[in-house]
Amino acid sequence: MEHLRKRLLKVEERIVYLGQIKEGPDWGNLPALQETLKGVRDSFYDLSQEALAEKIGSLEESVSFLEARCEETLSSMERVRIVRSPLRFSLKDLLENVYEEYTELGGEEDANIDPALVAARASICRRTKNKTIMQQVMVIGHEKGHGEEYRNGGSTKPWGNEKALRYMRVAETEGIPIHFYIFTPGAFPVEEYPGAAQQIARNLYVMAKLRVPMIAVTSEGGSGGAEAVGMGDMRLMFSHGYYSVISPEGAAAIEGKVKEGDKLPKDLVETCADRLAITAADNLRLGTIDRVIPEPILGAKRDDFAFFRRVKAEMIRATDEVVLKTKSLRAFRAYELKLEKDGEAGLDDEPRIDVSWELADDEIERLLQLRSRKYREMARQGYQEKLSGYAAFYRRAGQSLAKLYYTFRYDILKSQHKQVKKVIKDVSGESSVLIKQVSAPFYAAYDFISRKPGERPARSGALWGSGGEEQVEYGEIYTSSLANEDRTVTCPNAERHGCKDLWVPDLYGEFCGVCETCGHHFPLEYQWYMRHLFEPDSIREFNSDLASINPLDFPGIDKKLELARKKTGRPCAMITFDARVMGIDIVVAMLYSDFRNGTVGAAEGEKFVRACEVAKIKRRPLLAYVHTTGGIRIHEGTLGVIQMPKCTMAVREYIGSGGLYLVVYDNNSYAGPVASFLGCSPYQFAIRSSRIGFAGPRVIRETTGEDVPPYYHSARSALKRGHIQGIWDRREFRRNLHKSLMTMGGGNLYYR
Amino acid sequence: MLEQDIDFDAILSRYRADPFDYLAVHTSHTGRLRFKVAKGDQVEGVTGKFRHIPGTLLYELERERNPKRFTSKTNGQVDMIRADLEGNFVEAGEQIMTLKHPLTKREIIEYILRQVLTPYKAPEKAKYFFSMDLQARVDKYGLRGVSLKPGDEVLTMSLMKRDTPVYYDGEPGIIHSVYFKPGVSVEQGEPLFGVCPKDRLSLIERIITRVKAEWD
Amino acid sequence: MKDKVLIANRGEIALRIMRACQDLGLDYVVVYTAADEHSEHVRLNLDGKGNNRRAWRVASYTDPNDILAVADHTKCTAIHPGYGFFSEDFRFARRVTTRDRPLKFIGPTWEVIKELGDKINTKRVANQLGIPTIPGTDGPIYNEIDAEEIARRLLDDQAERKIHRPSILVKAAAGGGGMGIEEVHEIEQFRRVYRQVQNYAKRQFGDPGVLIEQCLRDYNHLEVQLLCSRHGERVHFGTRNCTIQSTGRQKRLEAAPGFDPTCFPYEFDGPAVLERIVEYSLKLASHVRYDNVGTWEWIVSRDGSPYLLEVNTRIQVENDVSARISYINGQHPNLLREQIRLALGDKLGYNQNDIQFRGTSIELRIVAEDAQRGFAPWIGTISRFSYPQHEWSAVYTHVPTDRPYVIPSDYDPNLALALVWGDSMAEAKERARLFLNEMVIEGSNAAGLPIVTNLQYLADNMDRLLTF
Repeated sequence: MEHLRKRLLKVEERIVYLGQIKEGPDWGNLPALQETLKGVRDSFYDLSQEALAEKIGSLEESVSFLEARCEETLSSMERVRIVRSPLRFSLKDLLENVYEEYTELGGEEDANIDPALVAARASICRRTKNKTIMQQVMVIGHEKGHGEEYRNGGSTKPWGNEKALRYMRVAETEGIPIHFYIFTPGAFPVEEYPGAAQQIARNLYVMAKLRVPMIAVTSEGGSGGAEAVGMGDMRLMFSHGYYSVISPEGAAAIEGKVKEGDKLPKDLVETCADRLAITAADNLRLGTIDRVIPEPILGAKRDDFAFFRRVKAEMIRATDEVVLKTKSLRAFRAYELKLEKDGEAGLDDEPRIDVSWELADDEIERLLQLRSRKYREMARQGYQEKLSGYAAFYRRAGQSLAKLYYTFRYDILKSQHKQVKKVIKDVSGESSVLIKQVSAPFYAAYDFISRKPGERPARSGALWGSGGEEQVEYGEIYTSSLANEDRTVTCPNAERHGCKDLWVPDLYGEFCGVCETCGHHFPLEYQWYMRHLFEPDSIREFNSDLASINPLDFPGIDKKLELARKKTGRPCAMITFDARVMGIDIVVAMLYSDFRNGTVGAAEGEKFVRACEVAKIKRRPLLAYVHTTGGIRIHEGTLGVIQMPKCTMAVREYIGSGGLYLVVYDNNSYAGPVASFLGCSPYQFAIRSSRIGFAGPRVIRETTGEDVPPYYHSARSALKRGHIQGIWDRREFRRNLHKSLMTMGGGNLYYR
Repeated sequence: MLEQDIDFDAILSRYRADPFDYLAVHTSHTGRLRFKVAKGDQVEGVTGKFRHIPGTLLYELERERNPKRFTSKTNGQVDMIRADLEGNFVEAGEQIMTLKHPLTKREIIEYILRQVLTPYKAPEKAKYFFSMDLQARVDKYGLRGVSLKPGDEVLTMSLMKRDTPVYYDGEPGIIHSVYFKPGVSVEQGEPLFGVCPKDRLSLIERIITRVKAEWD
Repeated sequence: MKDKVLIANRGEIALRIMRACQDLGLDYVVVYTAADEHSEHVRLNLDGKGNNRRAWRVASYTDPNDILAVADHTKCTAIHPGYGFFSEDFRFARRVTTRDRPLKFIGPTWEVIKELGDKINTKRVANQLGIPTIPGTDGPIYNEIDAEEIARRLLDDQAERKIHRPSILVKAAAGGGGMGIEEVHEIEQFRRVYRQVQNYAKRQFGDPGVLIEQCLRDYNHLEVQLLCSRHGERVHFGTRNCTIQSTGRQKRLEAAPGFDPTCFPYEFDGPAVLERIVEYSLKLASHVRYDNVGTWEWIVSRDGSPYLLEVNTRIQVENDVSARISYINGQHPNLLREQIRLALGDKLGYNQNDIQFRGTSIELRIVAEDAQRGFAPWIGTISRFSYPQHEWSAVYTHVPTDRPYVIPSDYDPNLALALVWGDSMAEAKERARLFLNEMVIEGSNAAGLPIVTNLQYLADNMDRLLTF
């Protein structure tokens, strides 16, 4: 009887689960089944055991049939609901069932700096013919729990991600692989130190070159929160999981322009989920993941032990593969052959080969190279480049020529340059008056040769003042087109500071968009900065043919892109160019607001990566000026999200090679880009009156239920929290930029 | 003043009869006026956890092609409105409406206390600020944590573009209530703040409790 | 062409502009703030109805938006800024003349205001023209070695010229109003002071630029009054002496012409120096195509060397001092009238030869202040205000004579300007004393104490104050 009761309960659970997936009990013949179930339950003690068994059996059969039908037609949103179900397995289930032993690090249960993120040292076991092998790994991932509120649904706080980073470093020290498990709807969008965006950026920056193999598996991959622990050498996904740039609800709110507090139209949420290409299959097709771990029908739950066995096998196999690829192709081939021999059946079991996960130094280098290549190649299909075959050839040829030239100029000449300098120093160092007389003309000759063209000899004898250096700067001063209107505007701080209404021609002309009373900065178009920051005619754009497309065929986006192209005359939201600031050559990557609010998609990311590469080849400082960015372009789905690790990798390699990377935020900078390739810069500044953050006030309100103060995202708050290093007045931008280049770049300007 | 000197019933019944403040709204500058409310409309004041949600839009004043919106600072009802000015060019400082603001318990207590506290009156028509030192102490200990004694530099009087220190010459006590706003001109003789001698604090407390109890 | 002038000022100058407009047959509008609603310039203009009213209340005399809104609403075609407030604000002048509904700005063109408003620039332009300025830098210095060299040369130069106790001033280039100025006597101290000022400038103004110039002591402060038209005509109305201003106090007394041998025995040829500074002033005016009234401020050292200090591109309070020693067809000119007329496009109608200079004039500034207590302003209510009428005197005041007047606390307590003139300095002084004696001001403040003015102070100290 007891056995039957359990079976009945199980059936009931399955029916309820189906109802949850379908969001409502009215799907198919669910109501009828529920009716039947009720009948059986009511007459449980009236029926004979056999009759009961038969009734339950037929009920089970019907439910199974229904489940199969549901699985076949599973929509994206239904997958989302599967992932969010409290019945679904969580990280703790994996730790208990996939690994032999584990020790949780940095807190347990609710006594934890962030219970939404779990780090654990764990051992995983495999058997070969004659022995059992235990291997050590670091497991880091989100813990949604099974309904415990303190887990915050796996939404990690900034300090949770900081904890993750700490244990990544531990793994690096110990040389053990990391298994990441991603179960997050997104990061908890608060700015308190270390800050949601900034911490994710730091994690990405470290992961880009973390010297251990990393395997990342996604069950619920909510955008930035997922990337914080997701930069794997191998990226896997559970078949019923989702990996998305934004929650379908969030996308629907934006797409439908739904007002805060209003109900979201259900079908809009469904269509958004479909369009965002969030399923495992979608992501596999897009190349944002490498492999899918199959789950049982309608997703694995916490008691699907066969599934856990499969996960264990997959994790060992993935780690083996990453490790072996760093060793030699032959070893990897042999491994694959062996697995093939084991056949399909072998997939559910761990590989019965002994593969050590320890890497030698050269293998680590290869691991990092492979990782770099992996992310460099991502989202290639997400943009378009209108290059003829010839042009492409010349571009490549030009690039390698440039590389040769700059290698010669810097690597070979520089060492000589340094030597010459050293000789002079030595000579004059131990100098007497006599030697000085000898070396002075030599100095002069040397200065003459090594001086850059365009640099005039030092001013001499200008004793009676010459009016300062900034006197004659521009032949013709660019005035914002905003200034051509005879009207006044009110400063937003008027009430607090008593600012007078500003006359628009003064404000946008002479005042450079700055309130003369309180210093509030009114937004100016990006062209203003192009004209005022750099030497006239020093700007040379590159990759200007790289265009944003609509890789997911998101309805309506083609038209919107066309509009943006028409409005701006540009093909994407990123402009990259060479420029000169007070005699210093730099490379600039600029995100501007006019094109889809400065959102970053595959084209923008690719352009940014190429700018890093150009700066690296030419050995020039790199400035990322963010006129505005609204985040990752959601219409490109995970092809957009993947720009976070992709671009951060490029930054890391640029800085790693000795580059100086400065970021200057203006107007509004939010979300993904700040949480990756911008936020990872050691030198971040903001223009006055700008706002920087992870999520806007509305999203914060909707996720945390708390209102944030109006100044929450202000540059000043960001400075207080330590996110940025300084606030610049727009009128001082050029001077500050030059000063930063000189001080942070040091003697050799940008090269270590 | 002793407690029994205060005729609570009389005072309270006065507020019961007309529990409102009548606040005049003046234009802060010139411009073409467009009302956004009508007589009898209910208006809201500034709200929100951080007082960041502006009140009801009262009127718009367009000057030099800048239509500026003015919102209500307090809640209440539009009691009087100069509808004849609608669409007209108005001067600065023109009274254009009156708001009838239902007094809160706290405001009534403040009003009653005004009659009990010793007022410190403006020596001249001028703008007043707390002296730097006093302001620092207020910021640190709170208004009622700061006691005053004769001879203390209490205010800075800004007069004819010159700042003159004002030394306190009343009875010692604490500043219980402040009636002026920094930088806003105060007529000579208007009370700037109300002082409460230490020994009368308990009386004040009793008054507050009593009003709280009797007013609902 | 009938212009309508908006008078964007208060007090006596608003009245003077108003009368000048009336003389010229021009309609006008005044603006006022709530604090001034009992002032004479308002009272006299409150009678009109509706849009024909001549007085309009604004939020502030310094809010350009209110002033222009009133100008548009009342269909004014020109704005007179008076002195102070917007008179030397090139942005205001630019806005007034370049907006969609442009108005005439009664003053020089905004370009000229801008060019001469910048002292450093003025100095540079003057130097180019060979006009002497105070020896020193004409642009900010950022380099310590350059700076020291300049300082050394300035000190050596003074020693060569046998100047007693040579010294230089080190100033923050971006500063003003006497902030960040240090004096250096010996070159050994220079670097320390230079660094100190540089740091101060960097901290205070964000620009470490420093100016260095010779420190002048014991000098005369002279002004040259020019009048120019939009048609390239330029005349002067002589010089006046405002030395008292330079001793750190507000101007209370001025006299014309610039030098008078009865006041002080000069070691140099006074009239020749005056002629030179007038000439220089006209030269600079011609170079920048100056086109309205303006005052060229000069410093004349004890040895008679003139240095151009700055140019005031506006009508000045004391303009009438110059007018009272000038005669055109036997009449004193009214410079305000001339200013308005020329700004609206008139030709001058006379030339320098038609202007005769004769006698001496003195201006007395009557202020409610306590000379005994550091010239502290006095406020209260004036109950009686009367002054004598002579054919050798003129009074400009906004204080009514027929009713009590509360001195507004938002502005300076200036009460009146009195001009007296005579054939000689001695006669002018005597008349000034007589005038002060005849003037009656009564009133009391909130405490019931009687009014305090500087009448007695002026009478007692006239000789001393007029010792240049």
